[in-house]
Amino acid sequence: MSTTVSPMLVRLAAQRATGALLRDAGALYLVDGEVVHAESPAAPGIDILLAKGGRLPTERWQEAVDRAGAHHRVGRFLVDSGRLASGELEICHLGALFDAAFFALAPGGGPTRFRRGAAHWLGPVKPVRAEAVERETRRRRELLDNLWPRPEVDSAPVTPRTAAGTADITSRQRAVLDLADGVRTPAGIARLLGRPGFHTLIDIRRLAAAGHIETPRASAPPAPAPVPAWVADVSADPDIALLRRLRDALEASL
Amino acid sequence: MANTETALKEAVTSIDGALGVALVDYTSGMALGTLGGGKDLDLAVAAAGNTDVVRAKVRTMEMLGLKDEIEDVLITLGSQYHLIRLLKGRGHTGLFLYLALDKGRANLAMARHQLRKIEADLEL
Repeated sequence: MSTTVSPMLVRLAAQRATGALLRDAGALYLVDGEVVHAESPAAPGIDILLAKGGRLPTERWQEAVDRAGAHHRVGRFLVDSGRLASGELEICHLGALFDAAFFALAPGGGPTRFRRGAAHWLGPVKPVRAEAVERETRRRRELLDNLWPRPEVDSAPVTPRTAAGTADITSRQRAVLDLADGVRTPAGIARLLGRPGFHTLIDIRRLAAAGHIETPRASAPPAPAPVPAWVADVSADPDIALLRRLRDALEASL
Repeated sequence: MANTETALKEAVTSIDGALGVALVDYTSGMALGTLGGGKDLDLAVAAAGNTDVVRAKVRTMEMLGLKDEIEDVLITLGSQYHLIRLLKGRGHTGLFLYLALDKGRANLAMARHQLRKIEADLEL
């Protein structure tokens, strides 16, 4: 059986806890042990997805946050005021939630803390079972590794390789490649395109596997452990007589 | 405008022979919602696998230079139909509805028609 993505998430779900699970790479918000929201710097927020998708101008989103944020009812407000249909909000929110959770729960994302009672200003839209978040996060990791098992490309600046022909590139991948300038990271490109971070990583790994972008060298192997200091002391003053006796003994036994 | 749960429920109850239905994001392969299915038909696995079907077709159309969109894809098995309908609403690019039907009980033309209606409910 596969290993658990986040033992703390599993524990909090079992306790039906309410609050925020905080890591360096992002946060998950729980209500009664279910995941109601997630955010991560690597995943464009629902506001960006909606704005870039042409569904909700940034000003409308800001207005909703100003008016309903303090009551933790931004999602509700968007639907009740007719700005968004409930199914639309739900679909967009679910996409953003699983996307951010994938990054927030990434291995090596630093220590995990839990702030009990903390709630997100978006308010509940469609709670998801922690188990489903676990399972989906694991599936996504496996999917990326099957495409190109080099996680270094996920966070490094994206550098195109001009030599490779581009006949096999899809229009989705073309949009990613067009923004690759050796400086922008996959997260930066995702934000500019208004696409989920994970979706962009799928294109990045496929492009890297096909040789259209550089795969950075894996970090250099650790330097060998230094030779102990006594080695230098020994060679500074070799015991010539002992070495001669050793040589003689070896020759005699041959 | 229906929420996803209502739309999926309508698909399973109103379409004759429906075995299961899923709303799928075809880039990630994640099912945003599923209804029906069971031991013989794991909808999460079906959702992830069928993203490859859609992706392959989209790519082929690009290679052929066809400036058109996929409306639906039909896969006919010995005992089932699998129907994939791509959603086209402004905010919904990259999603498809996946419907598994019992071939013996289903009316394919009606099923396609009803799936179109359910898509419209989701889009409004």
